[in-house]
Amino acid sequence: MEKAEKEAIRRVVAGDRDAYRVLMDRHYAAVFRISFRITGNEADAEEAAQESFLRAYNKLPEFRQDAAFGTWVTRIAMNTAMNLVERRNRDLSVYAPRVSDEVGEGTVQVASHRAGPERALLDMETATLRHAAMASLTPMERTAFTLRHMEEVGMAEIAEALGVPVNSAKQAVFRAVAKLRRALEPVAGGMR
Amino acid sequence: MKHYSEEDLIAYQMGESSEARSIGEHLEQCAECATLAESVAQTLRVFSAEPVPMRTPIDMDLSWQRLRGNLAVLEAAPKKKRRWFSLWMWPAAGAFAAAVIMVAVGLRMHHMPNTGGAQETATQRASVTDALKSLVGRHQQAHPINGHGPLTDVPSDDPQISAHLDSAERLLTTVNHEEGPLDEATRAQAHDLLLKNAVYTQTARDRGDLAEAVVLDNLGRVLIGLDHAPETPKSTWQLRLEMNTDGLLLDLRVLRQNDEHGSSR
Ligand SMILES: [Zn+2]
Repeated sequence: MEKAEKEAIRRVVAGDRDAYRVLMDRHYAAVFRISFRITGNEADAEEAAQESFLRAYNKLPEFRQDAAFGTWVTRIAMNTAMNLVERRNRDLSVYAPRVSDEVGEGTVQVASHRAGPERALLDMETATLRHAAMASLTPMERTAFTLRHMEEVGMAEIAEALGVPVNSAKQAVFRAVAKLRRALEPVAGGMR
Repeated sequence: MKHYSEEDLIAYQMGESSEARSIGEHLEQCAECATLAESVAQTLRVFSAEPVPMRTPIDMDLSWQRLRGNLAVLEAAPKKKRRWFSLWMWPAAGAFAAAVIMVAVGLRMHHMPNTGGAQETATQRASVTDALKSLVGRHQQAHPINGHGPLTDVPSDDPQISAHLDSAERLLTTVNHEEGPLDEATRAQAHDLLLKNAVYTQTARDRGDLAEAVVLDNLGRVLIGLDHAPETPKSTWQLRLEMNTDGLLLDLRVLRQNDEHGSSR
């Protein structure tokens, strides 16, 4: 690990809270990006990022410096963001109407009027459809899929971060793709 | 002809298949599997990475300030006991002060029948006040911001905070008397309070009411613990709670009383 980070960690552990900013400045973007992929919205991504850095901070005295802080906090973020998605699913009332609530058959029909079906799928209006499809995944499926497909994280690393066997992570990713494919069928029907 | 399953084709399209070669050959000849494989590929394209919102330096500052407000001073493991001791200092100081008052009152009653006692009693009363003042003063000096210092009697402006403190106090009291894993309702309530708490902490800090901000900070940490509590019955969070909540409950009560006192003025 880089000298500046080691030094920052040493100072934080010795009681200097402000030294933590060095670590946050360096790794916030990566943590936020991962959190955004998994949660799918900016507000939750910020909350997951906050929690991840807080969890990393509180565990810092036990952090073994043979690993990179960035890798470690990112891994914490994967897990934290997934937990947040779980909590959101459990408690729908916490945040304003979720995207999935706004999606009706109408959205799909509007999209299918467009010229090419795939083009239609990529249109702005179908962003809602995609969000709804993503919302139909379990937190584990959603997290494993976004990490593997959008962030190109390896299966072994995903499995470790989420605390499941590699095969379970793989199955979750495959199940996610199958579900998403079916969710697109009303629009993509013309392509098959 | 043996066809491949959807899962096989998904693995193939994601580069996770161990039989990529034979699947590739099959797709050359089988229209049915090729169509399915293309549908999977299309799904993967449609759900490809969207741009991540930009974080401006202002966002970063806000994120840091929010995080900073939740950071407790870390100390190396062996020193932890000292920190707990310092957190317990204030209630202890309170108990000591109470003891001083009781002794003083006792002394005063003892001196009552004595005709020459009036002067003496005044002196005694003054010394009690001094003792209290010095105790409070010492505590304030030792823990200007971070310790559980004596709380300001300046009430907060927000009437909602009183209800918030009340809910928090009730939740912590319940949790303190609960054994085993938390039920869904309790967790949901902790989560709800946690979200509100972040707002109130910031409000208190913005108002410059550090004492209130510190208590709310500590409350936030306990709530995060509850919100994230694992399903296992005896785990670290419970231990932490036991260590944390007594002092915190006291602080919450004091804050709430200040608050109620303030709004009835
Ligand atoms: Zn076939």
